[in-house]
Amino acid sequence: MNGRVIVVTSGKGGVGKTTASANIGVALANTGVSVALVDMDIGLRNLDILMGLENRVVYNLVDVVEERCKLRQALVRDKRLPNLSLLPAAQTRDKTAVNAEQMKSLCQELKNLFEFVIVDSPAGIESGFQNAIAGASEAIIITTPEMSAVRDADRIIGLLEARKDEIEQYKLVVNRIRPAMVRNADMMSVDDVLDILSVKLLGVVPEDEEIIISTNKGEPVSGTDNTRSGLAFRNIARRLRGEEVPLLDLDIPNGNWLNRIFTFLNPVKV
Amino acid sequence: MQILNWFFGINHNDSARNTAKDRMQKMLVYDRLELPAGRLEVLEEELLAVVSRYFELDADTTHFDLQQTERKAALVANFRLLRAKC
Repeated sequence: MNGRVIVVTSGKGGVGKTTASANIGVALANTGVSVALVDMDIGLRNLDILMGLENRVVYNLVDVVEERCKLRQALVRDKRLPNLSLLPAAQTRDKTAVNAEQMKSLCQELKNLFEFVIVDSPAGIESGFQNAIAGASEAIIITTPEMSAVRDADRIIGLLEARKDEIEQYKLVVNRIRPAMVRNADMMSVDDVLDILSVKLLGVVPEDEEIIISTNKGEPVSGTDNTRSGLAFRNIARRLRGEEVPLLDLDIPNGNWLNRIFTFLNPVKV
Repeated sequence: MQILNWFFGINHNDSARNTAKDRMQKMLVYDRLELPAGRLEVLEEELLAVVSRYFELDADTTHFDLQQTERKAALVANFRLLRAKC
């Protein structure tokens, strides 16, 4: 097998990297492909919690790299989705525990076992980030429509651009969009963010309280029906698989007067 | 009032959304070029001094700007010339 290694990154912390990684992983696995989720946030392990797998972690990524166990022993298989596995980060070590070369060979090994390898990168642009992108050939940049997040995303794009040989393509996910605020001109829109960053869009995820609930339950929203954020992540997974899926219509800021009345009477909440 | 503005599609240029976008675009030109603050103003003065040796300028309409297309910056200088100096 020759899987695709996709790194999920953002620069800024707290914009939803780990949530996006978990949800994209689950959504991809639900389409039938085999998926490995790799937590590269060494020292600040969280992906296991979002996946509800924290009690089943025995070995971790650093154990694999330092050859204390085989890769297969460290992979935690999701019981709900047998074609989805998690490679947890070490909680007691730090970012220096793994180097770029080790990460490359780990990704190579994972590529042979899985169709998709989703790497959750730590925040920042230092060694942790550099290691996370080391084995990847694609990147998903997560941002929110806030100035600090967009600025950090721009920095990440600059760094990815400088490594064109390895990172063949990167696309943007705009997370936590609030259409009502965009409509009131209180917040930047997705188009504003795309104008600023000049980057291709992979998807838009609305702000959704369901994310908090699903995190508490350890069941990513993309695995369940009836949530807008879950649908957004499922669409992202389909686009990653090459399907053309239209964007969720979240707001109609410059529509004609009929549209305006319609949106006015039926406010899109997310 | 805000609802009326929105309803009739009046563009509020001073909205938080537009302010943010405008600030971002300006900020990122500097970020991407790794251009320190104030450096551009120095260049502007020097350029003005050079052009002024050859032309009388209408200083009020002189326009000096960094513009961005597809992540590439362009320096746009617009000098309104009154007459050549001999």
